[in-house]
Parts: sequence; structure tokens; C-alpha cells
Amino acid sequence: MTITPTTTQRLVTARDRTFGAWRRVDGLARLATIVLGALVLLTVVAVLTGVFGSTSATIGGRFAPPSPLAPLGTDNLGRSFLPRLFEGIATTLVVSIVAVLCSAAISTLIGMIAGYYGGAVSELVMRIVDVLYAFPALVLAILVSALLGPGRPAAIVSIVAITIPLMTRVVRVATRTVAERDFVVSARISGVRTPVIFARRLLPNIAGTVVVQASYALSVAILVEGGLSFLGFGVQVPEASLGLLIQQGMLAMTFAPHLLIVPGAVLVVAILCINLIGDSLRDRLEPRETRSLT
Amino acid sequence: MSAVTIRDLALEFDGSPPVRALDGVDLEIAEGSSLALVGESGSGKSTVASVLGRLQPRSARILRGSVEVAGTDVLALDTPALRRFRRDELAFVAQDPIASLDPTMRIGRQLQLVLQSTGRDASPARRVEMLEAMRIADPERVIPLFPHQVSGGMAQRIAIALALCRRPRLLVADEPTAALDSQVREEVVRLMFDQARALGTTILWLSHDLPAVARWCDDVAVMYAGRVVERGRAADVLGAPVHPYSRALAATDPSRIGEGERLVSIPGAPPVLHGEATGCAFEPRCPLRTDACAHTRPHPVAPRATLCIRTDELRRRVRESEVSA
Repeated sequence: MTITPTTTQRLVTARDRTFGAWRRVDGLARLATIVLGALVLLTVVAVLTGVFGSTSATIGGRFAPPSPLAPLGTDNLGRSFLPRLFEGIATTLVVSIVAVLCSAAISTLIGMIAGYYGGAVSELVMRIVDVLYAFPALVLAILVSALLGPGRPAAIVSIVAITIPLMTRVVRVATRTVAERDFVVSARISGVRTPVIFARRLLPNIAGTVVVQASYALSVAILVEGGLSFLGFGVQVPEASLGLLIQQGMLAMTFAPHLLIVPGAVLVVAILCINLIGDSLRDRLEPRETRSLT
Repeated sequence: MSAVTIRDLALEFDGSPPVRALDGVDLEIAEGSSLALVGESGSGKSTVASVLGRLQPRSARILRGSVEVAGTDVLALDTPALRRFRRDELAFVAQDPIASLDPTMRIGRQLQLVLQSTGRDASPARRVEMLEAMRIADPERVIPLFPHQVSGGMAQRIAIALALCRRPRLLVADEPTAALDSQVREEVVRLMFDQARALGTTILWLSHDLPAVARWCDDVAVMYAGRVVERGRAADVLGAPVHPYSRALAATDPSRIGEGERLVSIPGAPPVLHGEATGCAFEPRCPLRTDACAHTRPHPVAPRATLCIRTDELRRRVRESEVSA
């Protein structure tokens, strides 16, 4: 008797393709994805529609407790705190994501070059990166903002400078192991141009590593942005960012603690979620153990 | 015309002290023939193979000698010419078949890329044809698979198809069957030789499998401590070896031993050279050594380029034993 695929079977395989990956993710990472997704969605809606109120209008007294009009109370200028919070989350996320994308692009390129060519090229690249790595993160960030002037560009450049050494090292090692494998050698033997080897052979094989490292870099980026803005070298008022809100909340800590606690908690939750997602990505994307033939 | 001509090639790996991997290799492979390079691990087989495509590690320094493949002086090529040379003349089949395929790319796509890179017909029908030529059942099923989804034997057949579809002048196979089980091994080797002979491709096969070498290859070169100690027709070298090392190596072949006989092994280990050997490198392990062996560097003796100062004497002995047998 031959078995013909039934409609149900086909449905099952289609479902598996869509949800299979999701089902293999562990519960904690799933929760983290949902929480982070909700946070991002809420922020996008809040910033685009202004549904939670204006970020600049004074609506009551200073440091007022939560009320129906201002669900998280008011800040030091009598503005509703909730829209300010979302503006802050948006700024922090945009600054961090832009910085991490830049950092990932740069460190993937130089890490691949260092890993593929090895020898003197690798030494040169890695020693420059080591010098960058030798600076304490915040000192480097303060130096950058002293050179560029405080503001978003300084925050972005600082994050890039801090995360490049971390990512470059990992990309270089990943590239080295891939570059030694036979399929890269046979590509070289078949006369494939080096840029093509980079794009077609190396990049897909280290992409998992890059994505995992980028997710960790993102949580570092959020922390750095928070620290910089907290110290006054990052995003400046009247803009808002999580670090800036925490710094302002600290001034009112004794009589309006929610102004400190809420942005602090958002920062912690966001970083926790990103790290959990990063761990789960690492479990799924990092190169498998070489498959044995036996 | 010969496909490969290596003359007095010496190569060292940097280090303190440096390691002499090749100590004056002479090797010639006739166009369209097949030569097996045999010898213990560390004898320099793989280093010879890598120099043919100038793929030796960065730490390797070539001290002297020349390497010609299909009339091209490999060591003198500039980068673009080297790239063209590798693309047009060379193909490698590696030991680990899974590693020789890109794990992030479906098999069909890999076939397509190799076909396209040489401007050949890369249509889906042609890809199916290529797999059919390698006796892969149901190619349509295999084409959309990733390398980790196929068996080792199939992966190696795909790797051979990838190597041969460019119609290379020289195919270097570095123990392509070492990772396969014995049933698949036979078939993979047969496919490789049939296909290569049909294309007129010269084969350099690095192997530890002496019975298979005797069955498939025209010629054999025996390497020891970075030199070719004996070379000739496969049947002659393996059937009636002259050099003491070839004799010892042939005696380790389990298929030649009758039931109840003891399988002999070569006592000691191959030397690690740190400079040019002053005498015969096999001398410390050789049962037939004389006092002169330790400080007379042997030169090839015709007709098998045997690297032993007692060649004439030993050849007579081999002939006598053949007569008596």
C-alpha cells in the first residue's frame, strides 16, 4: 500500500516550518522575546501616535503622584512622565541599535580580514583593537564626548568604540576556524576571488556568531548609553533617554521615587531580555560541533 | 609530457628549530596517469600535495627546487596567474567529505556556483546529470539538502563531482576514503578513477591503503622523511620492493599475510628532521644498514630512483627471491 500525503499532513509540515523554530526556543527566552517585543511595540505606538499624551506640555504640579491624567505622575517641570518615558526608551533603543549595527559591520569586516589573512595583518588589526580594549569603557566614552561634544553622535561613537574590540576578537577567531576548512580551501583552489570567498563562504558561516555577539553588544550599548547620559555626556535635555531620566529621577529620589524606579526597571528588564534572547540565539546559531561520520 | 615535475624540492617549517618537511623531493607524473604517494604519517605526502597548488601553510619556507604542473612553474606565479592556474588546472578532494562542503549552502547551490565559476552550463538539469554521473540515486531529492543531511559516502561523491566538473588537469586526492567505511570506499574510489580517466585527468592519490593503491594506480612513489625513496609501476614497487623502507612498508600490508603468520610492523618512528639529512634517514630503523649508511646521503639509483646505497646488491636479492619463489 502506498501512502499519499493527506491535507492534514501537508498542513502539519507547513505549520512546522513556521512555528518549529519558535517551539524549540526555551520558555525563558520565549518570555523575554514577548516582553521585549511588547516594550518595543508600545514605544513605537507611543512615539508615532502620541496616544499617552504630549512630551512637552505641562499638565499639573511638579512631582505629582500618579493620577488618571498622568499615569506615572509628573516630572520636575510638571510634564506627564509616561510619554517622557517612552521617548526615553525610543532614544536609547535607536542610539544603541544604530551603534551596534555600525559596530557589527566594522568589526565583521576587520575581524574577517584579520582572521582570513592571519600573520602580520592579524597582528596589526588585533593590536589596534587591544589598545581600544585597554581603555576602561566609560573613560573612552568621556574622551569621545569631550572630542565630539555631548549628544547623540558622541553616544553612538562611544558605543561603537567600546563594542568593536569585543566583536572583532570573536569574529576573527570564528573566521580562522572557517577559513581553514576544506570548502574554503577548495573555493580558493577553484580560483574564486577573495571578496567572493568573504561574502559567499565566510560570511554565512560566521553570521550566527555575529548575530549572537551583536545581541550581547546591544545590552552593553544600552548600559553605556545609560551611563553616559547619566553623567551628562550623552543625550541632552530637552530630549530624553533612559540614562537621562534616571539621572533626573535621582534628584527627586526622596519624594518622587517612581521617577527613578520606573526608568531603572525598564533598563534592567530590557537588558535582561536581550541577554536571554542572546543566550537562546547562541544555543541555536553558534556553529555546531563538527558532525562525525560514524 | 608530464603533468607534474618536481625537482629537488626542499621545504622547512619555521620554528625553533625549524622542521625539514621535504628534503629534496623528485617526482614526475605522466599526463593522464595515476600516481599514489604512500608512506607513514609525517613523511611529507600532504606537504607535497599542498605545494602543487602553492597552498602550503604560511610557516612553510621553500629552500630550493622547482615545481611544474602542466608546464607551469607554480612557484613563480603572481597572484592573478596563480588564481587562474588553480582554477584551470587543479582540483582537490579532501579527507573529510563533510568539511569539504559548505554547511550553510544547499548542495544544488554549491554545484551551481562551481559550474558558473567556469562558465559552464549550470542549469538544474545539468546539476542532476552531475549527481547521476556519480551514481547518486534520486538526485532530485539530494539537490535541496544541506551537507549535514547526507551520508559521508554521498558527501564524498558530491565533493568529487564538484572537483571534477571543472575538468581539472590534475586531481589531488588526500586520502579521500579514509573517513568512509570499506563498502563505500571501494565504490567511491572506482567512481573517482573512472571519471578522472574519462576526462583525461591526472590523479595524485595520497593513501595508506596499499591494496587499493596496487589495484587502482599506475605508479607508486614511496616517501620517507621528506624524500621519495622509491618509485615505479605500482605492481613492481609493491610486489617486489627494493628499498628497505618499501620492503618494510609492503610487509605491513595485512592482505599479504597468510593465515597464522605474524603481521610485522616497522620498529621505531619516522625521524623529525631539523636540517638536511646527512645520511640515509631510514638508517636507524633499517635492518640492512651498513656503517656507510649513516653518513652517505643516498642518490636515486635507476630504474626506480631507489634511494639506497645498497640498491644494486638488494635488487639482485629481490630477483633471486623471485626466481626461487
